[in-house]
Amino acid sequence: MRAHPRLRSFLSGLVPVGWVTVLLLFPYILLLVQSFWKLENGTITHQVTLDNYRRLFGTALYPDTILFSAGIALRVTFFSLLLAYPLAYLLAFKVKRHRNLMYMAVIIPLWVSYLVRAYAWKIILGQEGILNGLLMSSGLIHEPLTVLLYSKWALIIALTHIYTPFTLMPIFAVLESIPVSLKEASGDLYASRWQTFRRVILPLSIPGVVAGCTFAFVLSMGDFLAPQLLGGNDSALMVSNLVWSLFGVAYNWPLGAAVSVVMLCLTLVLLWLANSVEKRMNYTGADGKKAATDGRGMMARGAGV
Amino acid sequence: MNPSILELRSLTRRFGDFTALDGISLAIAPGEFLTLLGASGSGKTTTLRLLAGFDQPDSGSILMDGVDIAGLPSFKRSINTVFQQYALFPHMSVRENVGYGLRMRKVNKAEIRSRVDEALEMVQLGQLEARAPRQLSGGQQQRVALARALVNRPRVLLLDEPLGALDLKLRKEMQLELKHLQTLVGITFIYVTHDQEEALTMSDRVVVMRQGKIEQIGTPKEIYAQPTSRYVADFIGETNLLTGEVTSLDGRQVTVRCDGSSIVIPVGAMPVVIGDRVWFSVRPESMAMGTGPAAGEFNHLEGTLTDTVYAGAITRLHLALTGGKRLVVHQAAGGPLPEPGARVAVQWRPSDGVLLPDRVTADAGLSRR
Repeated sequence: MRAHPRLRSFLSGLVPVGWVTVLLLFPYILLLVQSFWKLENGTITHQVTLDNYRRLFGTALYPDTILFSAGIALRVTFFSLLLAYPLAYLLAFKVKRHRNLMYMAVIIPLWVSYLVRAYAWKIILGQEGILNGLLMSSGLIHEPLTVLLYSKWALIIALTHIYTPFTLMPIFAVLESIPVSLKEASGDLYASRWQTFRRVILPLSIPGVVAGCTFAFVLSMGDFLAPQLLGGNDSALMVSNLVWSLFGVAYNWPLGAAVSVVMLCLTLVLLWLANSVEKRMNYTGADGKKAATDGRGMMARGAGV
Repeated sequence: MNPSILELRSLTRRFGDFTALDGISLAIAPGEFLTLLGASGSGKTTTLRLLAGFDQPDSGSILMDGVDIAGLPSFKRSINTVFQQYALFPHMSVRENVGYGLRMRKVNKAEIRSRVDEALEMVQLGQLEARAPRQLSGGQQQRVALARALVNRPRVLLLDEPLGALDLKLRKEMQLELKHLQTLVGITFIYVTHDQEEALTMSDRVVVMRQGKIEQIGTPKEIYAQPTSRYVADFIGETNLLTGEVTSLDGRQVTVRCDGSSIVIPVGAMPVVIGDRVWFSVRPESMAMGTGPAAGEFNHLEGTLTDTVYAGAITRLHLALTGGKRLVVHQAAGGPLPEPGARVAVQWRPSDGVLLPDRVTADAGLSRR
């Protein structure tokens, strides 16, 4: 027996819709509802109020935390781009022989548990760590440096390390999709290699850059584990850690939910902006977005989120 | 003074085990429309890429006005290219595309403006200057690519199958337009194509390439009427390749025994002796249907009509000779045609046959188009 084609397509459409509803939409709705509830004497009452949002925007702590997180995320994005673009360029244009192998070498760390990667930095930067050991044995310092670990710079280094592959993937995808003939045409029209990069390659790769930067920014801004493990006192100033302490320590679920909702809105606005830039500047038809989606999938696996 | 603008000397390019270009030598005259014609893998595109500077030869030299340019990168050569898929910059307007080369050479703005105007005028695209390439049709993109190259007033323009992506009607129009444009600007065109009709239509000279070597160089007429090899005879146009044994020869012509008939052919470049087996070619349009053995001055063969194919201006008659060999004859439209299965005779003037220098070898069953 064959099902009616329309019924079949309806049923097959039901699975992803159901998936999204149960696992994504439903939790977000719960979060949104939670953010309007009231906390009275340590118990949550189902009473609709805007108090949480008033407190959120009225207390310096919360906007400051969001700004601080954004500042960290901005620096992580900057360093990720600085590393990822040249690497993607080399992979796309200069590496001929073992390109896939090299690409995998960049991507493979994503399969290593996020925790392992974060702890690795603890080992490198710690007081008894590899870096201090090296510096001491080379005679550059006599006392181990304590500023390396548990600072916002440790956080930035670790996050840059973790999110550089996400920045690289969409850039690589876009660069790879640029026809070689465009480079040749540019050279044929008297452009030097630098001019060809500046006038042809760079403008055409902007969608990938935007996609990659969006990833680095959004993911590092919402990161929770790296600040927890490496950030020390600064970690409390990252927004995810604030949410965590609101939910876990302060038992103020409604306020925690409100902060989450604000973050979610900010992220959505950012994604929408990035998306419209990407769309407007996409000439090559590269699926930077696909690469990005792959990245998202890998991120979910890698981070165990 | 060296009269050629470009001279290729023993150019060789290998890719691994594959020899793409096997020591070709060629001199190109200023203002010439030269076509490199060949099947894929014949080395025509490789030659073009070496000339453009996108690739470097393994050995040999490329002389431009007597100076070797083989090692120079493309941006240092006074040669421009029109690419197969046009390779227009998608993020630039038509005007920006056309002005790109001039901007890169730091030509002043006023001059860029007037030269771009002029180039757009030349390809009749003035009104589309603000458009993006993707808003243009294939033919229009083609013109932009042409203007973008010509605006730089190169000494030599390379064209890599520039009409390949266009439909037949537009292609024919563009062929004439290109030829007209080339005469107008007087720039040397080196044109790569696998389309023999295109080559014959536009070129001053055609270079037929095969397996990295030059098979024949000549005017379109020479290439078509006087092919010097079986490959060229077969590759250019439709032809009947026949083989037979030389029975007699004098200074002007040879007589060949073929399918039971005596065929007279003018002597070719290759010396033959009595008893040799030789190839010769007769174009289908040189043959006519007769009714029986013709008057002495004509060659004739007899066979069975297997098929008649109507093709507008002409009808193609397919014949099987007694020995099993197949022939194609073009019959002008009109007049009654015999039914398939009928015995028919075909005849042609001895001067329409071309003796081909290739020796008859084991691969006598050469595939026929």
